[in-house]
Amino acid sequence: MVEQIIMALLNGILLGGVLALLAFGLNLIFGVVKIIHMAYGQFVMLGFYFIYFFYTAWHIPLLLSMAMGIVAMGLIGILVQLVIINPLLKAPRLNQLLALASLIIVVENLAQVIWGADYRGIPLTMPIIQFGEIFIRSSFLIAFIGAILTLGLLYLFLNRTYLGLGIRAVAQDLEMAKGVGINPNVIYYLTQATGGALTGLVAAFFIPIYTVHPHFGASFTLMAFVIVVFGGMGNLLGGFASAFIIGIATSVTAVLSSKEIADILALVLFIGMMMIRPQGLFGTES
Amino acid sequence: MLNVQDLDVFYGEFQAIDNVALKIEKGQTVIVVGPNGAGKSTLLRTIAGLLPPRRGTISFEGQRIDRMEAYHVVENGISLVPEGGRVFPHLSVLDNLKVGSYNKAARAKAQQWMKRIFELFPVLSNRKTQRAGSLSGGERQMLAIARSLMSQPRLIMLDEPSLGLAPLVVDMVFEFVLTMKQEGYTVLLVEQNANKALKVADYAYLIESGKLVFEGRSEDFDKNPYIKTAYLGI
Repeated sequence: MVEQIIMALLNGILLGGVLALLAFGLNLIFGVVKIIHMAYGQFVMLGFYFIYFFYTAWHIPLLLSMAMGIVAMGLIGILVQLVIINPLLKAPRLNQLLALASLIIVVENLAQVIWGADYRGIPLTMPIIQFGEIFIRSSFLIAFIGAILTLGLLYLFLNRTYLGLGIRAVAQDLEMAKGVGINPNVIYYLTQATGGALTGLVAAFFIPIYTVHPHFGASFTLMAFVIVVFGGMGNLLGGFASAFIIGIATSVTAVLSSKEIADILALVLFIGMMMIRPQGLFGTES
Repeated sequence: MLNVQDLDVFYGEFQAIDNVALKIEKGQTVIVVGPNGAGKSTLLRTIAGLLPPRRGTISFEGQRIDRMEAYHVVENGISLVPEGGRVFPHLSVLDNLKVGSYNKAARAKAQQWMKRIFELFPVLSNRKTQRAGSLSGGERQMLAIARSLMSQPRLIMLDEPSLGLAPLVVDMVFEFVLTMKQEGYTVLLVEQNANKALKVADYAYLIESGKLVFEGRSEDFDKNPYIKTAYLGI
């Protein structure tokens, strides 16, 4: 039993890393473009299908398929900005929300038309790592290391480059950012491309773990939202911390009772946070 | 250097600037005084490209800038120090300065300029890694001025730099305006504090309710009986 809990704890941490990546993308888009990307989890599903398609239909090597999937999702991020967000930048919040929510329907049904409703996946056998009585799936470990490295690189990008500085400036004060010489459109496209590419990357990490179907993304949209709001919307550090809190809590609970109870617990934690600190764990008021 | 003609600016149906004309020669310090809500800030924001004018032209060094995006105006050598020392509160002092040199031309010389800035504003060099939001009002104003100098402007526009600051700090701010003048910057200063502003000005404009009502040199302002009672309190 002790081993099982330790294993669940480890899995929670490993899963938390990937969730942190997802939360980062959603947070970045919210913080910079000031829109709530309702279809973010669905983009993971789309990225998964892209990689699956490149690999099975075009017979491209898996790693290259993954890279192509990441690039494709980055381009789709730019397309979303161009076609959906730009025309609605000054529109009421509700219209933006509705447009992005309808994107869910478009993307899910498109996936169903193209790839059908069956579960699809790329069968891979990844080794299992053993420490005494504790077993870790190497696919989880790779995903975690990859996610942490990516987050590190993103941190350096945001803090060490002019473009990263531009992103942070636009997130804080759009008008002043324009006033110091930043072209916000460049920043918006860059943010959407980064956010999109991150969904592609998360999809690549999920390839050895899950199979995909058109409604695969819904639970990740919900999960990403719970994490982001729990940590404080727009707060990157909060999203990072809460990804691990939620990841560990659900993973341990799943072992102690069941997967369903774990999902309930995640939402209970979320509701509890909203009642005690509506601005989220690291959020500031206003 | 800067030439504003027949300028009309609206917020929706409300006309904030009504047929304003203004001229600045290279190296001059020009001030715009007037009561709260007269359209002084609007004028600066329009020149900076943050608001589109409905009518009129703005040209800078012979080039039309009235339809340019703000980031393009900065590249062309105009920099705005916004009202209330509006810095990026969650960025460090260093990052606030760095973001000032965002345009391509300024980036190349950013390191050099940063050194120069810290000589001019020693108070900032002690606070490099501190979040800008944790600075005092006066320090924030200094940072906002320093940030705009980082873009290496030829024209620097200051929007009410003394607003809400303690009298001693106000004096410091005006000393900086004088320093900038000596360094050869062209300065456009908007102020409610007409007394102090007139002392540093080569030429001055008075606007009320978006309209230009008087212009002249500081002496002309001192002599005008209406301005004396309404703005200078003598």
